[in-house]
Amino acid sequence: MDFLIESLKAAAALIANGDPELSHAVWTSVYVSVWSIVFASLVGIPAGLAIGLSEFPLKRPVITALNSLMAVPTVLIGLLVYGFISRQGPFGAWGMLFTPTAIIIGDALLAAPIVANYTLSSVRGAHAAILPTAMTLGGDRLQSVLKFLSEIRFGMMAAVISGFGRVISEVGVAMMLGGNILGYTRTMTTAIALETSKGEFALGIALGGVLMAVAFAVNIIFQFLQRR
Amino acid sequence: MAPLYRLESVRKSYPGKVALEIPALTIDEGRIHSLTGPNGSGKSTLLSILAFLSPPTSGALYYDGERVDWKGRSLVSLRKEATLLHQSPYLFEGSVSANITFGLKVRGVEGEKQQCRIAEALEMVGLGGFEQRRARALSGGEMQRVALARALALSPRVLLLDEPLANVDRRSAEVIRAVILSLSGKGTTVIMTTHDMRPPERMNGDVIHLEDGRLSTETESHAKL
Repeated sequence: MDFLIESLKAAAALIANGDPELSHAVWTSVYVSVWSIVFASLVGIPAGLAIGLSEFPLKRPVITALNSLMAVPTVLIGLLVYGFISRQGPFGAWGMLFTPTAIIIGDALLAAPIVANYTLSSVRGAHAAILPTAMTLGGDRLQSVLKFLSEIRFGMMAAVISGFGRVISEVGVAMMLGGNILGYTRTMTTAIALETSKGEFALGIALGGVLMAVAFAVNIIFQFLQRR
Repeated sequence: MAPLYRLESVRKSYPGKVALEIPALTIDEGRIHSLTGPNGSGKSTLLSILAFLSPPTSGALYYDGERVDWKGRSLVSLRKEATLLHQSPYLFEGSVSANITFGLKVRGVEGEKQQCRIAEALEMVGLGGFEQRRARALSGGEMQRVALARALALSPRVLLLDEPLANVDRRSAEVIRAVILSLSGKGTTVIMTTHDMRPPERMNGDVIHLEDGRLSTETESHAKL
């Protein structure tokens, strides 16, 4: 018990003093997570909307495939992207391996199906009368779809936040594609894994605390926006 | 009076079911038309076709003498002339004013003119001063009246109403009935569905009676078979 209390005290001191190692890991995590969720949303939201709003012959298998993609292990995505960007891979010459860009690519691939699925769920759960109402009031296709998007905006925000929650807390992609390089690609999660294995429990706890705080902050912002 | 709508061999079918089959029907302008019939008789389907929201599976619909081609810009223009009010209308998230603004905005009505139209429409349905109220926090009858105001603000040539008096309180029913009666005096064509065949409930309008998706002999003169 003393060990835990001492570790918590040390963690609080690290946070209070703005430990550079901790600060950089936090910054890297937030940086790669924000960019990866931006790219994942650019793909996932239109994909979810397109699947939800249109009818096509293979719709059901596409939805099943999208659901399955949500469960793909992070190390598998890491492995796949590694194959493409490692020295022998087709994009090896671009030198992306063990850079924040590599983590962003992997995390975006991880989050895109999540964002698409949640967007699809919000489209399917939306009131069936939204589009006909907008159309009967004179809206053209674009105006009606924009109105529809505005009506399901909380569902889409939930999609983005779920994706963000996934990427900020994952280890596999960041470890395999980022390489856990101190001061460069070390994220909160890879740092927690490393420091704990080294016996540096205090830094692990401090990082865990910050990770929780970031997750809570994002959810609090979401709740606030929902109430407005 | 020239017919506003003309239907020729209109058929609407879904897999395994023919929802509507009308060999011929004309609907005159500037009158109240009551679309009657039991549940599942095709009233809402016909309303949806007349609102240019859902094309028939086969057959032709003529509006104001022109055949409706169900494509692109011309369809959007037609929808700006005919507004459908659903039985359980969907009100957008936000204020009453924001709900009425949408249709005005897509017609390019902005600024002071927009505010005047909103205020006038709300006055017509007895909800003057409700502009900033949250639409979804209103009672069922008030929501129905907001939806009616949202349609009235657009001054449509045709107002299509799906069971406008169902599920509303007595006060709201009186207001809605008065508004509908006043509209026909202003030249607006009103087509409304109703279960109730009694003349006061159908506002003495012409009757288009449907049974199993087909016109019945009870359909009266001005809506011609």
